[in-house]
Amino acid sequence: MRLKLEPLKCIACGLCETVCSMHRDSVLTPMTSSIMLHIEDKANYFGLVLKTKSEGLVLGRPEGTSSGQQPSGAGGPGAKPILLREACDLCDGNPKCAGICPTHCITVVE
Amino acid sequence: MYLRNGKIGVIDLETGESSEEEMISDSASSIRVSRDLLDKFGPESMVLGTGLLTGSLIPASCAGTIVAGKKTMPLLGYAGIELKLSGFDFLVVNGRASKTGYVWARDGIVEFVELASAARINSWQRTDKIRADQGDSKIQVVSAGPWCDAVNPASQLIIDHWGGEDKVGMGAEFGKRNLTAVAFRGMGELEVAEPETHFSKCVSLIRNHLSKLGPNMGLSSYYEGARKEDFASLVHRSVGCYGCPFPCRTFVKTEEDPKEMRLMHREPGYLHYDIPALARAAELGLSALDAARVFVRCAQAGAEPVAVLNACSAKRDRVDANMIERLMVTPTEIEVSFKGNFEASFQDKHDYESSLGLGLCPRYWSKVGYDIDSLSSCIESALGSKLPSVD
Repeated sequence: MRLKLEPLKCIACGLCETVCSMHRDSVLTPMTSSIMLHIEDKANYFGLVLKTKSEGLVLGRPEGTSSGQQPSGAGGPGAKPILLREACDLCDGNPKCAGICPTHCITVVE
Repeated sequence: MYLRNGKIGVIDLETGESSEEEMISDSASSIRVSRDLLDKFGPESMVLGTGLLTGSLIPASCAGTIVAGKKTMPLLGYAGIELKLSGFDFLVVNGRASKTGYVWARDGIVEFVELASAARINSWQRTDKIRADQGDSKIQVVSAGPWCDAVNPASQLIIDHWGGEDKVGMGAEFGKRNLTAVAFRGMGELEVAEPETHFSKCVSLIRNHLSKLGPNMGLSSYYEGARKEDFASLVHRSVGCYGCPFPCRTFVKTEEDPKEMRLMHREPGYLHYDIPALARAAELGLSALDAARVFVRCAQAGAEPVAVLNACSAKRDRVDANMIERLMVTPTEIEVSFKGNFEASFQDKHDYESSLGLGLCPRYWSKVGYDIDSLSSCIESALGSKLPSVD
């Protein structure tokens, strides 16, 4: 089982980040999620980065999805870089991000 | 305290000193609490706040507010939730700064940061500079522009780069205080009483709403004028505010092919959600392309576009982009007749203030039917109790 990203369906609502953190720490925050929303708001360029155990980073960019990158770099002093985050554990078989995503940008596939 | 930080940040622009207070109000409404804080700190203060439900999993729980005197405006996009994640439920801004600068709130700290170059740069450049200086592109910036600095009654505050929330001339309130922006960022977290139940109840509610609403078409799901061919031909993608499953924000590209998905042009267009401004532009015969370009200039200047369009149409029958450009460069005090944007979502002002005060987007909730009882299971799973007073 894995998560499939279709980034052009994303509307940047951020619910995936919040419920992912909730699964880990039982609180609402985007800061400990395995999935991160990347937004360049002035250019309306946005997509998702998912840290996985088996495929490294999965990048869901508007121009397409790719995987295999290794996490590196930091996102600035106010942010927690993906390097320091846990990889997705698929919420023990019932991924919350896929459950709440309103546009089915994130789905579960076998 | 569920869904609250329990803290109010207070900053004095005159001295730069900051302090914090405990949150003791039992009202769920950011508007009610803000008015109480104005009573306490004085009518010249300004309060930025969040609703009790802001940042929850309840659909479109993205809203915060700014209240100054009798003026109230919504804070949408990610600004409301980011304010809450900065560690404060409310920020009270007192006094007038002797030097231009911005209020910077993050991780339970609030301070005044001087921005000497502010007088030479517009609202977009201020947002970009604050993000660059503080090293984080996700900082939410409520920015004033040159029209706000000049205390022009037709000014508007810009959130990140876009306008549509400020239909009350709040930009002039920033100008009066020599305040160029308020910026938020934080690594905060909000506790909920029963996370798993809150999740499942909110997912059910979202699915129920979406099955009734049908496919989302961005702004054209809320405003018929956005279905016209000249607007539709410029559409790039639609964007939601935090937690919104049915967005009203549609980005149009004016400077490159709207179908271009790669990151090419850094300033390719405009994010539309200001329905009265688009409607007025259409009435005056502006094309969707020209309207978007005019709104970019208004946003950069911190000028309210309906007032700008009205001022131009009063001078000549036909309004064009050049005319507006001249007005942007040499702003004059113009008559304003704000009719509201999100304010127009409900016929009843009480419903508008109730939903906004709770932290719920009035536009979304008027679309799906604002009924607080229908939310009770979502609210009680988050709070562990019934909703406190909204008034």
